[in-house]
Amino acid sequence: MLRASSIAFDYSLDIDAVVNPLVPTGVPGGNLLLRLVDAVLADTEPLADVHAAIIDELGPEALVDAASVLGNFEMMNRVAEASGIPIPAQSIDRDRVLIDQLDIGRFIKY
Amino acid sequence: MFSFAGAPVPVRADLRFIYMAAWGHFARPGATLTGRTRIDVLHAARRHVAEQSAQIIGIGPELGRLADALYRDPISVDGSMVRNAAAVHGDAVVVEVISIISMLSSVDGTHRALAAELEPLPEPEHGDPTGDVATGLKRRRTHIPVPAGAINVMFDLVPMEGAAFQMLFGPQYMTGWEMGFERFGRTPGLNRAQMELVSSRTSIHNECFY
Repeated sequence: MLRASSIAFDYSLDIDAVVNPLVPTGVPGGNLLLRLVDAVLADTEPLADVHAAIIDELGPEALVDAASVLGNFEMMNRVAEASGIPIPAQSIDRDRVLIDQLDIGRFIKY
Repeated sequence: MFSFAGAPVPVRADLRFIYMAAWGHFARPGATLTGRTRIDVLHAARRHVAEQSAQIIGIGPELGRLADALYRDPISVDGSMVRNAAAVHGDAVVVEVISIISMLSSVDGTHRALAAELEPLPEPEHGDPTGDVATGLKRRRTHIPVPAGAINVMFDLVPMEGAAFQMLFGPQYMTGWEMGFERFGRTPGLNRAQMELVSSRTSIHNECFY
């Protein structure tokens, strides 16, 4: 989905940034958004610093959007793990190159 | 309610509205648990004491363990934990607990991302559990009985939980209709590619393939 939406917006997404935030995302403000997630979930830096940077570059509404998306996926990830919703084999086959590139196959439990 | 005290920016009314609705949902009797028990489980999960408080709360220790793990350390939740709780206490109460903990994680996650104080949980409403549980569902290589469909129907065994869960998607992320547009964006705010960077990175932290 991220790849498709980036193409739709004519962004030159580097998908490796999702697993390595030091890589430029190619999405406007993208690395700031990754910093926000890391600050919230891994305590990598003071939240006030990344808040100020997002407000300055993307605007206050963007900060609220980012926070709510993070909140939404705190829920969705839990629903996925607790329900055990299976990942269709055809999806894994289709995205095998990407899965290997990002080393996320280890997250598939079912 | 939902003033997001401490946040550096004002929060959209549609988010505050669904969070108020979620709080009302938590406070009401559920299908298998009273409002008192639901709120006690949520309080305990926030403090990571649901398992040790299970007897006081009035739930089984397996449910307390699941609530603690799901709120604090979702990576540790697996099929055996869920199925074990279901084997002892039944599927419906497991779905109810998973649902309210997942939704609380969502609301609290938004608050944490904004450096806002967590919203105090509501006072429970009186009344007996409703017993409103769907029939005819089955495990479809899942840990809990579900209808055929995507992740949005995972709590449909307990219809009011399923409805509350689905209520949160749109304002927090995108509605089903909005997801049909690859160039969706909030104006002002983030566009879809920016939102999907946040969702992807969040899933990486939670070690969730979804």
